[in-house]
Order: sequence, then C-alpha cells, then structure tokens
Amino acid sequence: MNSQKNVLQGLAVREAMRRQVISLPAGAGVDQAIRYCTKYKVNALLVTGDRGKALGVVSKTDLMGAYYAGLPLETPLQAIMSGPPRFCRAEDSLDAALDVMRTHQVHRLYVEGEKGGKAAGVLAYPDIVGLLYRYCHQCDRSILRSGKKGKDLADHLTVREVMTPGVEAVAENAGLAQVMEVLAAARLAAVLVQDASGLPVGVASKTDLILAYLHGLSQETPARVVMNSPVQDCPQEEVLALAIQQMIFSDIHRLFIYKKDHRDIVGVLSLSDAARFRSGACRACLTSRIKV
Amino acid sequence: MGETAREVMDSIFFTLRPTQTIAEAVKLFKEASEASGRRVFGMIVVDEAGKLAGMLSVYDIFLLVRPKHTHIWGEMRDLDLSGLLEAACRRARNLRVGDIMTTEVITVAPDTHLLLVIDIMIKKHVRRLPVVEDGRVVGIVYLSQVFQHIQDKLMGR
Repeated sequence: MNSQKNVLQGLAVREAMRRQVISLPAGAGVDQAIRYCTKYKVNALLVTGDRGKALGVVSKTDLMGAYYAGLPLETPLQAIMSGPPRFCRAEDSLDAALDVMRTHQVHRLYVEGEKGGKAAGVLAYPDIVGLLYRYCHQCDRSILRSGKKGKDLADHLTVREVMTPGVEAVAENAGLAQVMEVLAAARLAAVLVQDASGLPVGVASKTDLILAYLHGLSQETPARVVMNSPVQDCPQEEVLALAIQQMIFSDIHRLFIYKKDHRDIVGVLSLSDAARFRSGACRACLTSRIKV
Repeated sequence: MGETAREVMDSIFFTLRPTQTIAEAVKLFKEASEASGRRVFGMIVVDEAGKLAGMLSVYDIFLLVRPKHTHIWGEMRDLDLSGLLEAACRRARNLRVGDIMTTEVITVAPDTHLLLVIDIMIKKHVRRLPVVEDGRVVGIVYLSQVFQHIQDKLMGR
C-alpha cells in the first residue's frame, strides 16, 4: 500500500505540469486576454516581451480589476500585469512547488525552460488535483471505476472534510460592481446569487464578469443577467472522489455544498481546496498527508 | 489565366457578427455549406460597419468544447463518459462569437500573387484568407480553391 501514501511525495512538477503555456505579448489588449482565458479555459495568461521572454502574468482577477477601474478594453496587458512571473523547475518536487504557491499566495508557477526567461510549462492547482485523481483512480480502494460504487465508503473522505465552510452571496439584483467588490474582498472566484427570498438561483464568477466587460455591460447590470444557473452543487456528505470527478468531468472549478437540500448552501469545494489538501480521496492517503 | 487572389477568391460568402451565439454561428456554417456545396469550417466575422473583426473556425469551437482535463481521464478506459459531449456542447452554445474568435487575422489583397498566398498558408497554417480592399472584405480564398486552380499546371496540362 506504500504507493497509496504520501501521494505527492517523490513526485516532480513535470508529472503534473501542463506543457501548453497560453501567452500574449505585452502590447496585446485586455479584450484579447479575455478571449484567450475563455477559449483556452485558463485563469491566467503569461505576458511576454521580446523573443518570448516572460515578463508578467495577467489573471482573471487582474482583468476583473481593469473592468472595475473602468479601463478601456484596448488597454495593453503590460499596464495591468503583475510580475515578474514566479518560476519553478520541472524536476522540483510537487510538495516544494505547493509550498512556494502557498507562501507567495500565487495560484500557478511557470516552469523554467532550457532557454532562460522562457516558460516550458505551467503548474496550477487543478493540475495537481488531476494527478491526485489519477492516483485515486488506479488505487485498489478506488470507487471511481465502474462497478465499484457498492464498496464500503467508510474510509473515503467526504466533501465536508475538505470544503471551505461558509459562503458569500449577493442578491440577484445587485450590480456587477458590488459583485466584484465581494469577490475581491473575500478573495473568491465566484459568489452565490440569491433571489429575494434568499434561495440560491445562480453563480456569478470572475469568468462571467470578464465576459460582461468584453460585452460592454455597465457595472450597474444586475447579477442575474450574467450569472450561471442552476447552481452546481453537491451534498456535504458526498464522497470527495466523486465530487472531484464531477468537477473534472464538468469542467467546473467549484461546487457549492449543501447540508440538507439545495437551498441550504454551507460551503464551497474548489479544485484548489482539493489540491491544498495534498492527499488522495481516502484515509489511506490521509494517514500520511502533510499538514498545510 | 490570372495568378492572383482575385482569380480564386469566393466573392459571395457568409459572415458572422461578434454578438451572435456559437449556436447561431454553427447553424450558419451549416447553411453556408449547403449553399456553397463546400464544407464550411470557418467564417469571417465583421463588425456593424462591415469591417473585418476576426475569424471563427471549427478549431476555435473545438477549443471551447474540449474539457480542460481531458488528458487526465482520456486514458482511463473504465469510466462512464455518457452525456459528457452533450454537456460540453450545451456549455459552448450560448457563448458569443466575439468571445472566442481569432482577431489576429492575416489578410491578402485581391492582387496578391497566388504563390504568396500559398506561402502564407504554409507558414501560418491557415486554410482560408480574407481578401481585403480599401478596408472592406471583398472575398475569401480557400486552400481547396487555390489547389484546384493550380491542379492542371501541376499535372503538366
């Protein structure tokens, strides 16, 4: 069972990193960055200078900030990027990479290429979850394979143990400016949208906000216009492995977690939560996981 | 026989608007294919003034449909993947053409030589090039049309 313990120990960045780095030149406009984030499904872009040298990073948070600040869509990325990008090496351990991400509060590390200053890959939380998911799937205890669903689930972690408790919500008629303020203050990627009676009716994410920016919507536009519905949710007693599977398959970064029924949202499970947990999805991994 | 883009371009072509949805765009792809007798895999996007705003190709739509983590589960043989394609298409449907179109579009002029057109198609991996004159799109050159045009010469006729 050794292979089931310390799932990240001994693994290198190269095993989880993506080799396709989505980038734009520093002079490209904010509108182009929004299109790239949408089309390539990334939360951030590398900003490059002469001969592809990595200069900075523009994230969806930066793009949302540009919207909030009322910057024109033609604003060049160099005006809003943060930099320089933080790098790691392909041979670094995943544990060390996660430590750097946590210490510096960044969501991704670029992987140094052979040519100095260029990125050969990128490592983000969802990539680490993807690797964990692969391990869980191969494990003897896996409930992820067909025909295994009737297994004893006692050893399996539940969503409740990993989720971030509590939830931020806005009213469906709240303006987009207010939604952005809530997202920024709580450092969240999405908020729950509620109707007048407090029932969850949708989710407004940074992706929805930057698309609103691209579409030229005013910041007074009500949240219900841009929200996604229905809310993607799951019960708090759901097995973690299945919740991760739902996110990976459905291409979503988070699930809202309910207690008794869909109206009673009590937390959020994001792929980042699962990655920070540094474990597979059952206690065989948990016994030796490293506290973060 | 002429040797410029003008000779091979289609001057009747469908266009998209950035505000149309992907569902509407795909419907237009289908209509254009039926009308032209050629499978249409990409279309010019113009703004309200009729100026070139970008191109939308099947590749752009594929990128949108492809789930981000395909590399993780793509190799797993024992998963139940039913309904995934339908869900991916449902998510893509309501996005707008302007959200994913390619805006760095290479264009040619009507009098651009066909050898230069071929050179651009090779270097930039493009199969279609808008033909622009005085800021307006006047035609579109398809790789298949260029090939058809030089076929006889290649056969030595």
